[in-house]
Amino acid sequence: MELHPERGEAVREADAAPALSARGLSRRFGAVTALDGLTFEVARGELYGLVGPDGAGKTTAIRALAGLIRLDGGEARVLGLAADDHAVRERVGLMPQQFSLYRDLSVGENLRFFSRVFVLPREVYRRRAERLLEITRLGPFLDRRADALSGGMYKKLALACALLHEPEVLLLDEPTNGVDPVSRRELWALLHEFVHGGMTVLVSTPYMDEAERCGRVGLMNRGRLLLEGAPPALIAGFRDEAYEVRGGERDRVEAELARTASVRAASPAGERLRIVVARGAAPELARSLAPLGATLAPVTPDFEDLFLSRIREEDA
Amino acid sequence: MKGRIRRSLVRIYAMAAKEGRHIVRDPRTLYMSLGMPVLLLFLFGYGVAFDIDRIPLAVVDQDRTESSRALVHALTASRELVSVGELPDPAAVLGAFRQERAVAALVVDEGYERALLAREVVPVQLLVDGADALVANQLLAKADALVRAESQRLASAEVGETTPPVRVKVWTRYNPDGRSAFYMVPGLAAYLLAITAVLLTALTIAGEWERGSMEQLFASPIGRLEIVLGKLLPYLGLGLLEFLLVVAFGMIAFDLPMRGSGFALALLGLVFLLGMLGQGLLVSVIAKNQTVATQAGTMSSLLPSLLLSGMIFPIENMPVVLQHFSRVIPARYLVHGLRGVLLKGNGLDVLWPDLLALAVFALVVIGLATARFQRRLA
Repeated sequence: MELHPERGEAVREADAAPALSARGLSRRFGAVTALDGLTFEVARGELYGLVGPDGAGKTTAIRALAGLIRLDGGEARVLGLAADDHAVRERVGLMPQQFSLYRDLSVGENLRFFSRVFVLPREVYRRRAERLLEITRLGPFLDRRADALSGGMYKKLALACALLHEPEVLLLDEPTNGVDPVSRRELWALLHEFVHGGMTVLVSTPYMDEAERCGRVGLMNRGRLLLEGAPPALIAGFRDEAYEVRGGERDRVEAELARTASVRAASPAGERLRIVVARGAAPELARSLAPLGATLAPVTPDFEDLFLSRIREEDA
Repeated sequence: MKGRIRRSLVRIYAMAAKEGRHIVRDPRTLYMSLGMPVLLLFLFGYGVAFDIDRIPLAVVDQDRTESSRALVHALTASRELVSVGELPDPAAVLGAFRQERAVAALVVDEGYERALLAREVVPVQLLVDGADALVANQLLAKADALVRAESQRLASAEVGETTPPVRVKVWTRYNPDGRSAFYMVPGLAAYLLAITAVLLTALTIAGEWERGSMEQLFASPIGRLEIVLGKLLPYLGLGLLEFLLVVAFGMIAFDLPMRGSGFALALLGLVFLLGMLGQGLLVSVIAKNQTVATQAGTMSSLLPSLLLSGMIFPIENMPVVLQHFSRVIPARYLVHGLRGVLLKGNGLDVLWPDLLALAVFALVVIGLATARFQRRLA
């Protein structure tokens, strides 16, 4: 896909700025602090993942960068311009988390509406719509109403609508939420394709396993960034160790783990328990678990271990 | 600059075309804007007729002479009052009122004819059920005129032709029969247009908030005024169609005359609709959800249009405070203007103050709606 539309001279000056820049963003909704000094940057052409549990502030962060909410403090900039600058809207695509298209309009009518809102010439619209329908495999459903689409097909339509004007920056809020595994994989493949073509993509997700598909991730919790970096580097820098607990009576083992301060996180993994333990604390834990008939087996730490232990550490 | 305007027009068109699709696909909108008004007009037009007709009259004739029968005949000859039979004595009248067998009763005392012949002033009693003040008032006026005519006839029969010192020749123009449909239908048209137009648009912006599509719209380059105008256009078309339908229906079903020009009529409807649609937008910009928008829209259009427009209650009879308040109710100007165009054949030379008032209202509410319409989700 062509991802570098012609830009005016005035815009070119801001080209040195990062694609997205959040500086000390804060916003409260009543008693809830959604953003608490959130700071991060996304370089041009980067695929950046905003990862965190529900309620971490991911949606508010994306809306702030789309210029859709008032901020109590901080500054959100896109392509060097203020996030709510009118000129930015032509160059940014947004795919909101909730249903945001027109249910009573068909796939084709929704696409046509957004192409007119972006004032695309008819031929340009035809060419792009055809390609987007092919990529998303929505072609056969052109006349189907949006409210009759499956969750995955709807998300693809929303993506197509956000891509019609070939934005330089794409903001996606939990695009894979409620999507089956096959569609989810397809969606990620598409995102990689776009980034390969030069687009900047910011994607939020509550799924830790999806973080590994990003060029860089930021772990969000309680409106702030806890951790940031490329996935391999983050795992390599992991200070704690991951183990599987095998055997023993589940209730008594869990009680013992909860009592032990060096256990950062514990989560069930099938029949077993997967735990994150402070470096060097494993032998002692193994001794206290032995009377319960349980043993420790080391496993390679992954993202979930890393994030769970950091969030637990933060919340404690 | 020219390119910017063109781009803006494309976006307004996009919005209007989309909104048009919503209308066509939602039978409720079509029913509300086209079906309901005609239905209501039909019910109101026939039901809310204030014309006096076939009012049941009880007669207590204690004289039982030719003269007394002549009086009863004089009252009931026009069929506006209908005799429902004789009652034995005046005490029975209240019973007839309570059972609603009669709304009025004529009591002729014994000695009526004798007194007439003796050229004395003869008291005749008319009892009226005042529970329905409107009927009672019209009835009194009617009965008074009929009795006066009868006594004039008696007097001239007695003394020969008399020439009263002052003779008023009444010439009622525009609605000589005093048909209530002639002034009710323009009022109803204003009332129906007011509620449906406000409701129609009150639902649309609130709907965008509720459906979540506002987020996608705000992230796009479409401007607030473009959204507002794009939403107004299709509803304006629908509203004009409704206006046409209501007036045409009034002409066909109630013989409503159309003495003015179609242009004046259309202009009046257009400017009024703009204001009402703007009011609906303002409501929905503030309400952000369809339930609240519906209630606020109905309350802000239905009651003032019904009570303060002069449609039923003459503005001149209102307390001074309400008279002033009625000046900001657009329906007042439409009712006044419509009666002028339809019944008197008024042209723009007479209509312009009404048109001006409506235009000012439209500009203010659309301006307020755009200003209050924040391009923010939270």
